[in-house]
Parts: sequence; structure tokens; C-alpha cells
Amino acid sequence: MKKATSIALAIMTLCAGAQADELLVGVQIPLTGPLARVGMGTQEGIRVAAEVFNKTNGKHTIKLVTVDDESAPAKAVAAVEKLASEGVVAITGGYGSNNISPASDAANKLGLAYMTSGGVDDGLVEAGRKNFFRINNTAGYQKALVGLISDLGVKSVSIIYSTKDATEGLATDVQKTLAAKGIKVAMHAFDPAITDFKPIINKVKLQDRSEFIAMVGYENDYVGILRAARVLKPQAKAIAGVWSLATPKMAADFPDLMPNVYGTAVLPFPVNFTTPEGKTFGETYKKLHNKEPDYLGQFGYVQSMLLFDAIARAADKGTLKKGGVIEELRKTDKQTLIGRVQFNAKGDNPNFVQRMGQHQGKQVVLVWPKESANGKPVFPGVPW
Amino acid sequence: MKSNKLLIAVLALVYVGVPLLLGANAYVMSLVIASLVIGGIALSWALLGNLGGMVSFGHAAFFGVGAYTSAVLSMQHGVPVFAGILLGGVGAVVAALVMLPVLRLRGPYFALAILAYAHIFRILATEWQSVTGGSGGIASIPRLPTLFGYDFASKTGNYLVILTIVLVFALVYDMIRRSPHGLALRAMHDSEDATRVVGVNNTLLKGLMLLVSAFMCGVVGAFNAHYINFLEPDYAFSAGWVTIPIVAAIFGGYRTITGPLVGAVVVYLVDQLFVKNLMPTGHQLVLGVVLVAMIISSPDGLFGLARKFMRKKDATA
Repeated sequence: MKKATSIALAIMTLCAGAQADELLVGVQIPLTGPLARVGMGTQEGIRVAAEVFNKTNGKHTIKLVTVDDESAPAKAVAAVEKLASEGVVAITGGYGSNNISPASDAANKLGLAYMTSGGVDDGLVEAGRKNFFRINNTAGYQKALVGLISDLGVKSVSIIYSTKDATEGLATDVQKTLAAKGIKVAMHAFDPAITDFKPIINKVKLQDRSEFIAMVGYENDYVGILRAARVLKPQAKAIAGVWSLATPKMAADFPDLMPNVYGTAVLPFPVNFTTPEGKTFGETYKKLHNKEPDYLGQFGYVQSMLLFDAIARAADKGTLKKGGVIEELRKTDKQTLIGRVQFNAKGDNPNFVQRMGQHQGKQVVLVWPKESANGKPVFPGVPW
Repeated sequence: MKSNKLLIAVLALVYVGVPLLLGANAYVMSLVIASLVIGGIALSWALLGNLGGMVSFGHAAFFGVGAYTSAVLSMQHGVPVFAGILLGGVGAVVAALVMLPVLRLRGPYFALAILAYAHIFRILATEWQSVTGGSGGIASIPRLPTLFGYDFASKTGNYLVILTIVLVFALVYDMIRRSPHGLALRAMHDSEDATRVVGVNNTLLKGLMLLVSAFMCGVVGAFNAHYINFLEPDYAFSAGWVTIPIVAAIFGGYRTITGPLVGAVVVYLVDQLFVKNLMPTGHQLVLGVVLVAMIISSPDGLFGLARKFMRKKDATA
């Protein structure tokens, strides 16, 4: 009887120990509303990170608590507060600078580290929040777009950009850098609500006569611009966009519009991981979600793994509730699936550089920079 | 006498009871504050619809202009936050003055014209970069201040401020409704031509209602800007600022004063606290179904339903 009691006690102690070691992490993400698609994509990567961390860490386990912020700033604040009331030790997720700004502010007041890959507006890192960390930024996209344009030897560029927050900032930065390199640049802003891009493409064709068209917008904008370009056939030698363009989904959904189009891409398609971490990520992603990983998932994975590692280190040091996660994130210096990640005093990752991919047949081939490329660019090459 | 006692008890409960019961829970308090923001817009919308007989799809314009006015005045000109909130209302009135020509229109034409104005203001906020920060918006908008040693930036402080704002507006609404002008407006709602025949200046009254409604909505927008501390054109002039309050007002009963307020609080809190927990995504679907059911079964909203229920109860007693 005594033996049975001691065994039961031992089991209870072990269970209690295991429970104490389970660390709650909040996921504040848009799962509905205009940002639902990108939010869900990022969340897939976050779930992969939790799965991989729990299998590999050995000592700590992460339990995710997710709240849909419905792509709305007030609900993003409420989501952070709800997560805090449930005892999370940090927050990962967030999409759209307008949601991230108030949400990370709320997290800052609550002393919670806030990690994201969904906000490239530089105002986020200039606001002076001590808890804010992001793994990507406008500068990384700018470097990729400018790098490709320079390496292709292009002399004139037309930038067609949405007047949205992040897109306008990126377009202006690209313009300045290209102009400094002596490349002729024409700027064409458009309201996010417009769907007919023929007047702008007509200007590019008849007025600019540029060799290269750069689109700084979102999926619907690219489709509208490419459709207009197929009708009007400007004499450009290449066309590129930024996020959400060089993806297998775009190739599958718009096979007539995508051939030879460039876009920022973390991964080639078919996906080909060479590092052990990449292989683990790819296999776990396929197992959990029954599909090939995309860039959103990869960003969600990287941001969350870095956060989980910092949480584990803070837990080991017993500083979880004394700002230890923020302290550990500041010390981060790691090679990840998107390259080296460090955080400066503002919480920005100065090493972030995107890669450029190109739709070639049914594949997305990485063509820039050379060290990451798995193919050569088709140039000149346009879909029309 | 009995109703006065009930009112005092309800006011005491909302002013003291809610902070005492929920003050420690930042999440629930932020939902209550958000529901009161929606309640404030719903009230201003219902005032225009009920007393002015005008269905507006453009209240986002007043909300956004009020928010930007207060944010810009407090950040760039050092205007104290509370004064900025009131001036936000004044800014919305100025915006409404620009809209006065649409009073010549009726029904869907008025609704569409005022919607177009909201879009115009959104574009202005996007393009006027030097003042509004353009599409990047304005971050770190000052919070509510500490006055007489009390921190109004706290959850309870924000709650007390927005609660006071909507209750004062409800009182103003009631006073207008009871005044001779209110009587004329209600008569006008049923037959504009008939009131014109008896000498009522319809256009002037409708114009005044538009200005009062705009002021209310602008003040609520200004408060929200200082509460969220962030503003950008798409958020400030979002169509959501019109649709959710309309749903709330219809749900509660837009022809009453308490209907839009109670409707907003009930709709928002039930949705966020209960339905969202049961259905983390797609919970808005439930609201849609409930709204349709409510419109079919009780077009006068919750209060109409309650009256029907009471009448039935009395009849069976």
C-alpha cells in the first residue's frame, strides 16, 4: 500500500513538474477579415515551430494560445490583453502595421515580448518600444529588388505602387536607391481601391518606355497590373513585384499571367531544403498541414523558434517574469531559414535580405542573390 | 418616480459596479470600452435616422475626421487631450457642413452621396501627408491624461470617459426628441411634405440634425484615437464604423434612445465574449443570422421584443 502511494506521489510530482514546465505563448493573428489569408499562412508556420520545439527542446514545452484579431486594431489590443490574462509569457504573430502598432503597444504595457514578421513599416521600430522585435523589414525587400535590377543591367524602371502604408514606403526607398545608382525611375501611385490599371500601364508604355516594371502592391494589384500589361503590351524587358507574388499559389491560380515574373521569395518551388533545420521544418509542415510550405509559414516558423528559444533560456535562468525574454531576444544571433538574425536596440533585424525568385514554367526559381540562386534569370522575359 | 429610482440604480451600477466587478480584467474592460465606442456611433447614427429621417452610410467620415482632428491638434499643436476630443467633434461638424448639399437628396441617393463623402475624406487623409502622415498613419497618439491625481489612461479611466460621453449624448438626444423641434422632426420622418405644408423648415432641421450627429460621432472617433493611440486612413474611415453600429442600432431598436446603446453593448460583448469563444473564426455569421431573425420577428429591436413579451405576459396573467 505504501509502495503504491509513493508511486502515485512520484507520478503526481512528475506530472506537476511537467505542467510547470509548459510555457504558454500567445498568438495574436488575423484569421478573419482582409488579412486572413496572410494571417493563416503565418499561423501555420507558428504551429510548426511549436511542434518542432516541443520535440527537440527536451526540457520545456510550448503551448500556443491563439486569438483571432479579425484584422482590426481594437481587437488586436483586446487579443493581447486576453492572452496576457491567460498567463502567456510572450506574444508571436501580428500582421499589418496598423494592427501590430497598437497590439505591441499593449504588450509593452503588460511587459510582454512581441515578435512578428508581419509589419515592415519602419514606424514600428522607431516608436521606442522595448518589447518589440521583428525579423524582416522594408530594407530587406528593397535590397533584393534593387539588387536584381542592378545585376540585370537595367537602365530605366517604372515603379507602380499602392498608396498603402508599407508599399509606399518601400517604393520610395527603392526609387531613392535606384536614382542614386543613376537608373532612371518613374513613379506611379495608385489607390488600393482601384482595379483598372490600363491608364497607368499606358503611361508606362507611351511616356516612360522603361526597361523594367516594378510592382509594389499586393496580390490583387499584381493581377490587375499584369492583366492590363497583357492587353497593352508595354516594351519592358522584365516585370517584378514584392511579397505574395513568386509563390506556387499564384502560378497555379494565374498560369497565363505569371511566366517570367519576378518576386521576392524565401523558397524555390518545388521546395528544396538543404540544411537539417530546413528539412525538419519542411517535413513537419507537410505532416501538419498536408501541403508544401510557403514564405509566410517560413517567416512564422523563424520568428516563433527564435522566441521559443529565448523563452527557454529565460526560463532556465529564472527570469521569465522579470523581463528575461526581452533580454534574451536582444542577445539573439542565429543562422535561420531566412538568414542570420540579430536584433538591434530598436528590435529590428539589420541582416535581413530577401531573395528574388522568378516564375519559370510551373516552378519558382531563385535567381538572386547568386549564393542562394538555384537557377538563372530568364531576361528579357515578360508574360505577354 | 419609480423610473427615476431605477435610472439612478442603473447609472450607479454602470459607473461603480462595472469597474468594481471587471476593472481588474483588462481584456473584458477593453471589450466594454470598444462596445461603448460602437454604441456612441450607433447613437449618433440613430439620431440622424430617427429624428432626421436620413439613413447614413457615411458616418465613418465624421468618425475619421474627429479622430484625425484630435490626434493632429494634440500631437502637432499641443492641445490638451480632452480639449482635442471636443475639437474632434467640431472638426466633424466642419466636415458635415461640406456635406450639407446632400440634404437635397432623399433615401438611397442621400445614403450613397454621404458614403461618397466618407471616401473623399479617406483619400484626403491619405494624400495630406504633411499633416496626417499619409497612408503610414499616426502612431503614439497621446493617451488620456492624469487629472486631479486620477489616471484617465487606465482601463477604468477610459471606461468612465467613454461612458460619460455616450450618456451625455443620450441625454442630448432625449432633450432634442422632447423639444418642439424633435416633434417636428418625428412628424417629418413620417411625411416630409405634410410638415412643410404646416410651415416647418425641413432642410434647416435636417441640417441641424446632421451637424449634431456629426459632432457626436466625431467626439467618439477622437476618443477612440486617444484610446488606441494609432490612426491610419483605412482604419479611421473604415466601412466597419458604419456597418457594425447600424447592426447594433437595428438590433437594439433604432427608434429608441437606449436601443442603439444597449444593442451595441449586447451585440459586441455577446459576439466577442461568447460566440467568438465557441467559433473562433466565422463567428460573425451567427450575428448575421440573429440580425435577420430579429428584423423578421421584431423590426423594433430588442426593446420591441421585450414589450411584445411583456404584453403577452400581461394578457395571460
